[in-house]
Amino acid sequence: MLTKKQNLMEVMKGGTPDRFVNQYEFMNLIMEVPLGVEFNYGQTWKDHWGITWRWPEGQLGMFPVHDQDLKVLKDITEWQKYVKLPEITTSDEAWAAAIDHANSVDRNEEYVTAFFAPGIFEMTHHLMSMEDALMALYEEPEAMHALIDALTEYELSFAKVLIEKIHPECIFHHDDWGSQKSSFVSPEMFEEFFLPAYKKIYGFYKANGVELIVHHSDSYAANLVPFMIEMGIDIWQGVMTTNNVPELIKQYGGKITFMGDIDSGRVDFPGWTREKIYEDAKKACEECGKLYFIPCLSQGLNISSFPGVYEATSEVIDQLSKEMF
Amino acid sequence: MSKIEEVKAKVESGKSKLVPGLVQEALDEGSAPGEILQAMVDSMSVVGDKFSSGEIFVPEMLIAAKAMSKGVEVLKPLMAGDGSASLGTCIIGTVAGDLHDIGKNLVSMMIESAGFDMVDLGVDVPADSFVQAVKDHNNVKLVACSGLLTTTMPALKEAVATIKAACPDVKVIVGGAPVTPEYATEVGADGYAPDAGSAAVKAKELATA
Repeated sequence: MLTKKQNLMEVMKGGTPDRFVNQYEFMNLIMEVPLGVEFNYGQTWKDHWGITWRWPEGQLGMFPVHDQDLKVLKDITEWQKYVKLPEITTSDEAWAAAIDHANSVDRNEEYVTAFFAPGIFEMTHHLMSMEDALMALYEEPEAMHALIDALTEYELSFAKVLIEKIHPECIFHHDDWGSQKSSFVSPEMFEEFFLPAYKKIYGFYKANGVELIVHHSDSYAANLVPFMIEMGIDIWQGVMTTNNVPELIKQYGGKITFMGDIDSGRVDFPGWTREKIYEDAKKACEECGKLYFIPCLSQGLNISSFPGVYEATSEVIDQLSKEMF
Repeated sequence: MSKIEEVKAKVESGKSKLVPGLVQEALDEGSAPGEILQAMVDSMSVVGDKFSSGEIFVPEMLIAAKAMSKGVEVLKPLMAGDGSASLGTCIIGTVAGDLHDIGKNLVSMMIESAGFDMVDLGVDVPADSFVQAVKDHNNVKLVACSGLLTTTMPALKEAVATIKAACPDVKVIVGGAPVTPEYATEVGADGYAPDAGSAAVKAKELATA
C-alpha cells in the first residue's frame, strides 16, 4: 500500500494510485501558526488590519462589516493613509506551538502544511467592501496596483518567517475568486491585477522548499485555470461541480490536480444523510476518474459545518476506493 | 451618433464621469428626460443580458450601474413627481439568518436600473419586516427575497408565505445560490431569477403583467 504522499504523487503525475486520495489526508495542517486570523463564533471583533468582523450566533461563518464608518479603506486613492500593514509576529514564544506541531509530523507520510488566509483578492474587498474593490479596479487602477503590491509584499514578508520557523512542504492558501457560477472578475482583469501577485508569492514558496501549492477557491473559476497553472498552483481545492470538473481534467490534467467536486452546499446541512453524500461522491469519482482528481468537500478546511459530515464523506470515499480500485 | 445614443453607449461601458455631461447635452438638444431615462434603462438591460450570458463580469455591471445613477441624478430634478417614470417600488432584502449581501446588492442595482424605486432592507430580514415595509411605502409592486445558504431556505419559504398572506397583490421574486425555479414555485413565489441581470427582466415582467 502506498503512503499518503506516494499515492498523491501517483494521482498528480498520472501514475498508478492504489486508492483515491481521501480529502485532506495528505495535509497535516499547522493551524497554530500565528497568522492573526481569528474565528470568534457569536462575536464582533476587529482583526490586526482593523477590519471589523461579525459572526452572529447560528451563522455558518463570519463576515467583514463594511458600514461606512467601519470600512478600513474609505478612499482607494488614499490607501496609504488608511491601510497599516500589521506587524509580523516572530517571537519564539508565539511560534512555539506551531514549531512543535511541525516537528511532530512524519514527513514521509504527510505534508507539513501551512494555512494562509485571506489571499490578495479577498484582502482588497475585506478592506473596503466588494463593490468598492471591484469598481476601483476600473476607476483607480494605479492605486489598486499599488495596494496589491503592498499586500503582496506583506505576504512575502510573512512567508519568509513561516519558512524559517516551520519549513512547510505544502501551502494551503485561501482566496475565493468567484461565485458559484462565474469568476468575480474577467480573465483579462485577473491576469492584469492578480496573476503577477501570485506568481511572486507562489514562486517564492517554490524557491524555498515548498513542494506543493494548494489553492482554495470554492467557486466557479474554470476560466482562470490557465492562470492557476502559470502561477504555480499544483492543486485547486474547492472546485465546485459548476466548473465541469471532468472536462477540466481532460483539458488540464497533468498540469494541475482538482480537489473537490462534492459541493458542501448540497450535502452539508442539518438533515444530511450518508446516502446523499455517497450519491454525490460516487458521481464525482465515476465522472472524474482516478487521476488528477481528489474527491473532497468544497469546504476550505478538513471540517464540515454540521457534525459528522466530513467524517462520513471520508468513510464514503474509502468505500468508493474499495469499490473502484 | 446622437447624444442619446452616446448616453446609451457610455452607460453600457460604465463611463460615470462622462454620462452626466452627455445627459445634459441631450437635454440641451431637446430630448425629453423620459426619453433619456429610457435609453439608459435600455443600456442596463443590455448590460444585464451580457452579465447573464457570462460576457461581462461583476465590475463591468457595477460601473455601468454607477454611470446610470450619475445620469439619473441630472434627470431627477426634471422628473420630480413624474410617477410615470417609475415601474413602482421594490422592497429587497436577504431572509432571516442570511448575511450574504453581495448578490442582493447587485440585484438591487439592476432592478433599480430597470426603473423601480428601491427600498433595501439589508440582510437578515425577518418575514414580518418585509410585510411592514410593503405597508410603509407607496406603490409597492414587488418584494425580492434572497437566501444564499441551504440552511436559510426554510426562512425563504416562510418569508414568501408571510408576504403573500398579508399582501396578496404584491409579487414576490426569489433568488440565491441554492434556489431553483422548482423551489421557487414550490414555496409560492411569483418569480425566480438565477442572476442579477435576469432579476431585472423578471421584475419588469411581473410588475407590468
